Amino acid sequence: MVQAELRGDMPGVTTNAEFCERLRRRLLAQPEKTLLRVTVAPDFERPIEFTAKALLDRAEELASSFGITKERSVVLVLLPHSPELFLLQLGLVLKGHIPAILAWPTSRVDPEKYKCNLVHQLNHLPADLLITLPRLAENLAGSLPYPACGMSLANGASFEKIFPAAPVSERLGNRKSPKRNGCPNPDALFLQFSGGTTGAQKAVVVTAGMLAHQLKQLGEVLQLSDADVVVSWLPLYHDMGLIACYWLPLWHGAASVQIAANDWVINPELLLKYAARYKATFCWLPNFSFSYLSQRGEQMQKHSLGSVRAWINCSEPVRCKSVAEFATTFAGRGVKKESLQASYAMAETVFAITQSEPGRELASVPRSCVSHENRACGELAFDLIDDVYVSSGKPLPDTEIKIIAVDGSKCPDFAPGEIHVRTPSLFSGYWGAEGFQTHSLNGGWHATGDFGFIAEGELFVIGRFKDIVIVGGNNIFPEDVEAVVNSVAGIHAGRVVAFGVEDQEFGTQGLAVVAEMKGEFNEDAALQLETTIRKLVLTVIGTAARYVSVVPQRWIVKSTAGKISRRETRERFLRDRFSPG
Amino acid sequence: MMPESSTIRTAAREAASQIAGRPIKEGQRLVTSGLIDSLSVLKLIGLLERKLRITIPPETLQPEDFDDVDLIVETVERVAKPHA
Repeated sequence: MVQAELRGDMPGVTTNAEFCERLRRRLLAQPEKTLLRVTVAPDFERPIEFTAKALLDRAEELASSFGITKERSVVLVLLPHSPELFLLQLGLVLKGHIPAILAWPTSRVDPEKYKCNLVHQLNHLPADLLITLPRLAENLAGSLPYPACGMSLANGASFEKIFPAAPVSERLGNRKSPKRNGCPNPDALFLQFSGGTTGAQKAVVVTAGMLAHQLKQLGEVLQLSDADVVVSWLPLYHDMGLIACYWLPLWHGAASVQIAANDWVINPELLLKYAARYKATFCWLPNFSFSYLSQRGEQMQKHSLGSVRAWINCSEPVRCKSVAEFATTFAGRGVKKESLQASYAMAETVFAITQSEPGRELASVPRSCVSHENRACGELAFDLIDDVYVSSGKPLPDTEIKIIAVDGSKCPDFAPGEIHVRTPSLFSGYWGAEGFQTHSLNGGWHATGDFGFIAEGELFVIGRFKDIVIVGGNNIFPEDVEAVVNSVAGIHAGRVVAFGVEDQEFGTQGLAVVAEMKGEFNEDAALQLETTIRKLVLTVIGTAARYVSVVPQRWIVKSTAGKISRRETRERFLRDRFSPG
Repeated sequence: MMPESSTIRTAAREAASQIAGRPIKEGQRLVTSGLIDSLSVLKLIGLLERKLRITIPPETLQPEDFDDVDLIVETVERVAKPHA
């Protein structure tokens, strides 16, 4: 029966109970197989291992240990990379609850400011329970409209050092509790945050039907089987980490090796070492990782990487230079050009919309072949400047894509416009401060806000209308950064602009902030303000700003309608900062 | 042969200033102040390796090990290996 399911002969999953039942059956088909390996610093030589049976047992046992009595509870999970985090995500789903994983902060944040911001965020999320480290749970107790439950981790002490043993100083008193608009959705399996950090957090509601459809279709395209091994450094709060690197292998009975993002960033060789050791066959990476690994490649040991069938570039626009560097650097270690693959994905469709064909080199199109007429360049928040565009592959089966021009007409091949998508994996709404809000779709189509074109059935993503900044695969909303900086005393509230600046070296973006100083401009005071802004952005947003510029009043460019223009301010910043002379 | 402390200090100050895009003073925090982001720490490591002709093995390192000029010098002296 399991084989029939894997072949796709079984009817589709629609309910949570069906999903969980099938998952259990799939996992127990090979109970003694090692399915999950989680590395825990500092002992990188011995990852914590779970067989399929142990994974199921431990996951359910752990989820039960919190004594959650209310059915279908929304449980926020705020924990660092640890075996328990992986167990909880699975266990809470199997127990019929709805987990939502929040991003763990970097160790560089100001603890008091971080906690105040966290209380502010959490007060806007209509959950039933927060599970976090004991010291943080204790500090937050009394500041939230729901209980905060402490959970000890074997490696928790090093993370708890971030938080001094003191309660949150900013009590929010009688602040209005968020609306509990019932359960996010009757079939909600879990929630995936899609961005937002300053109280505007919203999560995509992933149902059993959406997830099962995505896992089946993506598995088929990749020809994934229980013989495969996924190696990942991507965090579980990111859709690529959660869906491609955790749920996908689980559903197909394949193994995965999970490394902490922080450990990988400082020691990228870990990924290749584990890929070689466990004969990994799949590895998903944001574009910058390809450049980064290539740059460090010479200093790494000669790990044998020939087992990897697909290195999948996803979460950032695919850049020809990054892919080519990787292929050249690691060719001698078994990386074949045809193993370099790409995918276009977003949390709103659970994950993948397109996937390139494994075993075939990525298609590319010279920039000169693309029709740039009527492309409304001026509207774009991001525009890939490469000479060659790289394909993100074809739509998954049952997934449709169309490209829509500014006038609403459908674009022909090679003519760019906004990417619209329709798929059974498409979300129906967000869960956030106002509870569950249905997202309106036009005939089942979702306008992605991304800019691209289709050529011979393949999608090429080349820009963005929406003002999201993508730093190393992480989405940052400029509005969040601007809201944070607006609160700085000495900064002219409402006169702050955040945007992305290209990082050619790593094939990603850096975050930039321009803020106008209140009153008369003063160099020393500007420097002080810049320092304050940098610290605050790092603490609240979790990513350091690459550029911070405190400028005199009226520096920021307004449109003719008197509205602040992010695009023109960015252009002025780039001219001032990077133009010769 | 490993470079001397004073050479490492000069290279650290130069590299940090280059990455931060401004002169860096002694004791000025780089990472915990948000002056440089995670990717820039990696660029800083690469720059130090090229300037000093050393390899900085990343095992057990954290971005905080590069938080100011003193820490950079200490980290380099502790873990770096000279090019053969």
